[in-house]
Formats: sequence, C-alpha cells, structure tokens
Amino acid sequence: MKKLLTILLASFMLLTACSSNSDKSTNTSNEGTNGGSTGKKQEITVWAWDKAFNIAAMETAKGIYAQKNADVTINVIENAQDDIIQKLNAGLNSGTTKTLPNIVLIEDYRAQSFLQAYPDSFFALDEFINAADFADYKIGPTSFEGKQYGVPFDSGVAGLYVRTDYLQEAGYTVDDLQDVTWDEYIEIGKAIKEKTGKDMLTQDPNDLGLIRMMIQSAGAWYLQEDGKTPFIANNAALEDAFNTYKNIMDANIVKVISDWSQFVGAFNSGDVASIPTGNWITASVKAEAEQSGKWAIVPFPTLANTASSVHASNLGGSSWYVMNVDGKEAAADFLKETFGSNVDFYQTLVTEIGAIGTLKAAAQGEAYTAPDEFFNGQTTIADLASWTEQIPNVNYGMHTYAVEDILVVEMQNFMNGTELETVLNNAQTQAETQIR
Amino acid sequence: MKTEVRRTSIRGSSIRTKANLTGWLFISLAVIMIVIFYFYPMLQALLLSFKSGTGMNLDYVGIDNYKRLFSDKTFTTALTNTFIYLIVQVPVMIILALFLSVLLNSRQLKFRGFFRTAIFLPAVTSLVAYSVIFKYLFATDGMINKLFMSIQLIQTPIEWITDPFWAKVTIIIAITWRWTGYNMIFYLSALQNIDQSIYEAARIDGASATRQFFGITIPLLKPIILFTSITSTIGTLQLFDEVVNITQGGPGNATLSISHYIYNLSFKYTSDFGYAATVSYSIVVIIIILAFLQFKLAGDKK
Repeated sequence: MKKLLTILLASFMLLTACSSNSDKSTNTSNEGTNGGSTGKKQEITVWAWDKAFNIAAMETAKGIYAQKNADVTINVIENAQDDIIQKLNAGLNSGTTKTLPNIVLIEDYRAQSFLQAYPDSFFALDEFINAADFADYKIGPTSFEGKQYGVPFDSGVAGLYVRTDYLQEAGYTVDDLQDVTWDEYIEIGKAIKEKTGKDMLTQDPNDLGLIRMMIQSAGAWYLQEDGKTPFIANNAALEDAFNTYKNIMDANIVKVISDWSQFVGAFNSGDVASIPTGNWITASVKAEAEQSGKWAIVPFPTLANTASSVHASNLGGSSWYVMNVDGKEAAADFLKETFGSNVDFYQTLVTEIGAIGTLKAAAQGEAYTAPDEFFNGQTTIADLASWTEQIPNVNYGMHTYAVEDILVVEMQNFMNGTELETVLNNAQTQAETQIR
Repeated sequence: MKTEVRRTSIRGSSIRTKANLTGWLFISLAVIMIVIFYFYPMLQALLLSFKSGTGMNLDYVGIDNYKRLFSDKTFTTALTNTFIYLIVQVPVMIILALFLSVLLNSRQLKFRGFFRTAIFLPAVTSLVAYSVIFKYLFATDGMINKLFMSIQLIQTPIEWITDPFWAKVTIIIAITWRWTGYNMIFYLSALQNIDQSIYEAARIDGASATRQFFGITIPLLKPIILFTSITSTIGTLQLFDEVVNITQGGPGNATLSISHYIYNLSFKYTSDFGYAATVSYSIVVIIIILAFLQFKLAGDKK
C-alpha cells in the first residue's frame, strides 16, 4: 500500500497537467457550439494576461469592432501568462479544442515553440493581414514556413531610461548618454555612484534580459538562424555581451534584486539612475508622479566590440494568434479590422494605454508625435517608434528559455572566475543535450 | 464418509465464495476507480516516458530518455539540490518536532493548548501564501536582514535569495517552519498513548530524564518516527511550491527541485512531455528505494 501511495503521489505531477484545463471549460464551453454557425450571434473568446496593458488594448479593440459588427460578442478572459501556456499545452496535447480560446496572446520568445510543436493548431492569417505592414523584426517570431500566423501587437523596443537629475549631479547631461557604448555607460555609472551614491541599474541574476537585448542589438541570438541549433560557443556577440555583463556587475554599480516588485520599487524610490529595458516599463516609471521631469529615454547602448551592434533592441513583446477552431474566420476578421490595419485605433492605444504597436503606418499619427511632459517634453513615443523600425530581425527559435536557464548557471560560473571560453563551451554542450 | 466430507466442504466453500464475492463487490467500485484514475494514467505515463519530441510531435525513442537523464546536468543539479534539502532538512525537522512534542506533552507546562495550536498553525497555511511571505521576509532589504542588522548580528545584509548557498538555507528554513508542527502532532498523539506507569516505574528505578527519553520515549515512538520520516522524504522529493515562489529555482538552478524541473520541461521550455515523464519516473524509483532503505534501517519486519 505504501509503495502504491508513493507511486500515486509521483504521478500527480502528470495528472495535474490534465486537470488544469477542466476548470476553464465552464467559461468557454458555450463558444464551441455557437462559434461555428454564421448568421447567429458569434462569440469570440480571447485570452490575455495584463489588465492594464494587453487586456485593456483588447477591450478597446472590442469597443471599436462592436460599433460596426453588433452580431459578434467578444469575451476577453484574463489568465496569468504561465496559466495560458499551461492551458494551451494541455489542451493542444489532449486534443480537446473545446476548452481553447479563439484568439490567444503569446509572447514572441515562445511563439515558435507553439507554432512548431502544434502544427495545424493555429490559423494562418495571410488572407487577412499584410505582414509587410508591421515592423520587420516582428515577422520572424510570428510566422512559420512562409505563413503569417500572428498579428504583431506591442513593440518591445528597448530604451535606456535615465534620471537626468542624477546625471547632472555627477556633472553629465542627457547628451552624454545619447548613442553610447556599454563601456561608456559603465564609466558614467561609476561617476554617478561616486557622486550620488546611487546605483546605475538593477539586475536579477536569474533573468538575462540584458544579455538578450545586447545580442539582439547585434542581430544575434542563442540559436542559429534555423531556430533549432544552439549557437553559444563561438558566438562573438554573445561573448561580447558576457564580457560586458561581467564588467557591469564588477563595476559595483548594480543593485541586485530578485523579482519584479523589487525591480519597480528600485526606480520608483529613486535608488537607481537608469533602467535599460523594454518600453512597456513607461507606465511603471510614470506611476511615481513626483519624479515627473526627472526622466529621459535615450537609445539603447551598443556593444563596444561588435560592429553589427545598433542602438535599437527589443525585450519581450507579444502577438495575437488565432486558434484553428470553430469561429476562426470571425476571429481573424476581428483582428484584421482592429490590430491588423486600424491606424486610429493605434492612436487610442498610445493615448489611453501607452501601448506602442508595431503597425508601421501608425507611427505617422498624431498621438505618436505628441511630447510627454513627464519626460521633459521629449517625444518619447515617436523616438521609440523610430527605434522599433531599426531593431534587427532575429529568429528567436523554439528554445529561448531552455537555453537561458543553462546560461544563467554558466553566467554564475563566469562571474566566479571561470574562463569565458570554457563557460560558453559547457553551455553549448548542455544545450545540445537538452535541445533536440 | 468420503462423500459426506466432500459435500460439507463444497457447501463450506460455496458459502466462503459467496462471502468473498460480497466482499469483492463492496470494494469493486473503489478498485475500478483506482484502476481508471491511478493505474491507467501511471501506465500511460510510463509509455510516455519512452517518447520524446516537442508538443504533439512525440515519437518512440526507446530508452533514449533514460540515457539522457544521466548526461543531463540540470537534472543532476536538481537531484543534488533535492538530496541536500532531504539530508539537511528532514533530520532537523524530525528532531525539532520530537523535541517540541516532548516539551508540549509535559504536564508542568501551562497554556499547552495555546502552544500546540501556535506550533501547528503553520501547517494549515497555504503553501503559496506562506512562500510569498517568506520571499519578502528574506529579501535583501527585507525584515529578517533589517532585524539582524539592527541587533548588530550582521554588518552587511545577507543575500538570502540571490546567493546560491543562502538561497538553499532560506528554502530549508521555510519548509521546516511549515512542516515541523505537522509532524509534531503525530508525535504528540503517540506520546499520549504511552502509559505513564512506564515512566513512573523508570523513575522509581532511578532513571534520569535523558535516560527515560532515550530508553522509553524513542523506542516507543519508533513506528511513528519511521512513518513521519518516510512521508517527509516523499514530501521533500516532491518539493515544488516553495522553490517556485521563493527563489524560482535560482540563482542559476541553485535551488531547483526535481518537480520544478519537470514543470519547466513541460511548460516553461518548448514542452517535451515525454522527457518530463521520464524525470517523473525517476522520482518514483528514488522514493521506492528510499522507503525500502528506511524500512530496513528501522529494522521493522512487518
């Protein structure tokens, strides 16, 4: 009996995977029956994860679409991103498409792993949207085998957010940080630390987002261009990024944190002088109204020893996908009319939510060129939108997070004095065993 | 004579068969349920552990997954971490629980009910809720560090969550806090079943308190100690919530547990349920071996 019990407990791991999608079925079960037939009231279910951001954007789109298409009901359901991934995996594996939504938001880093692992589960949108209308770098992750599956949503364009008052105190101006390399950034960071006692940036040792931004700025990634073969050893951009990361950490200008709330807390409380990250942080920066006028956004620094590195990169960002279930045409049409082409809608997104889209035409709109008082009148949206167009297009492939977990460990070894070459070779070997 | 015997034996056996059948009938529902909901998935999981691939593209790869286990550095790390938790945490917790239960069983102690409740209370809290609170208590600028610094115990804050060594310590402290009270309850109930006259006799014979503890309490609690150590071992091998919520396996896999790795393989990375099932089965094998060893070491023939 005890042996039995032990085995049972272990098998729970797998059982929970199956049970997790059952609780959602009550919410979405009516969608399967109504979705297919045209003429009657159509229902479209959407899964997204951020109430203040992508859900808010979806709700806006829903409002706009409802004005012309009263016969379509759109249900936006909030799930945590991890839950969405679990439910998609569980649903697609078990083949029970009834529990799946019509439209789902997937992070760009993960998109290929879904598109390739579950072929035929997503609906190609070539007839509905034109891929060339969107920022180039968004097309790699959202398409597969020449077909466009995703409607690109937010730009994850990276910028360097800096505290102008701290810069001044250390004898610099914002211009000194325009178009710099990381080496110059570190020097300024040291000066600021010396004069003001403030750290230059925060880093979570578990999150190599900084490395990801650095290598994408040079058009490189963890994987070869095929999106499958690990490209860690002999990856010049990655080597440069590792060295730069170590220099930053060793310069004693980093406040070490371990989660999101500490990350936000650090700049809201004025503990750090800069934030190198994706533009989606703007809302959190502006949340601290007292710091109005003290911030500026400058282009992302480049890797000093990598010629291909440009002043534009990306962190995060996600896109909408239509599942290949009943109601897919209606869902695709909805996306086409809103996220796929509507320039005015994108202006609303910027003014109401602060979400910068990747539709190229939207950048000419009024909202994009408006100055932002919080950033001293800088036309931040226009700046970010122009950097978006320069982001090098890389194939994120299927294994970003698997490789990153290996690199996190090896980065610790590198920081503790192991040779860079050994570290990267080890990571390469491990990645080759893990990825197949 | 012969026929007589046979007839009675037939009648006897038919009664027995009937009784047996009724018995089987009563448990059949439970048996069928267990087969459908436990054995069948277990078998499926076993079959799954011989497959590999991404998402739905699973192919049979034979014992390739099991070979992969041995060359998988992350698995080795997860295994080592889990064993460190096991070797450090389980004995500490068992001893602490024993100690507390003997204290709380003492008749001289006032407010016993209050103390018992207080120590058992952690066991009723949600795993996720307490983990999140621990994460904030042990943050670099969290309460624990502030407390230690204000009483001059340390000069610089300890990196409870971002340092590989201290992160393990944090996890161990957390699990110990959560589960000590739970185990203590078992000891407490066992202690109350020990006849006081045995202690009286020992006292009359002049045995010291220590002698009484090791000569009477421990031997009489042995079955319970075995039970709690086996359940704690199993619990530690399945450690998941604390690691995910407090450290997310970090820094750099330093606190990754096997269950967390299974989760990552299934959901964080491009999902490979085949290999994840293989790792799950490795836990099964380890638990069986450990339970067997504990039975042997405890020397219980039953």
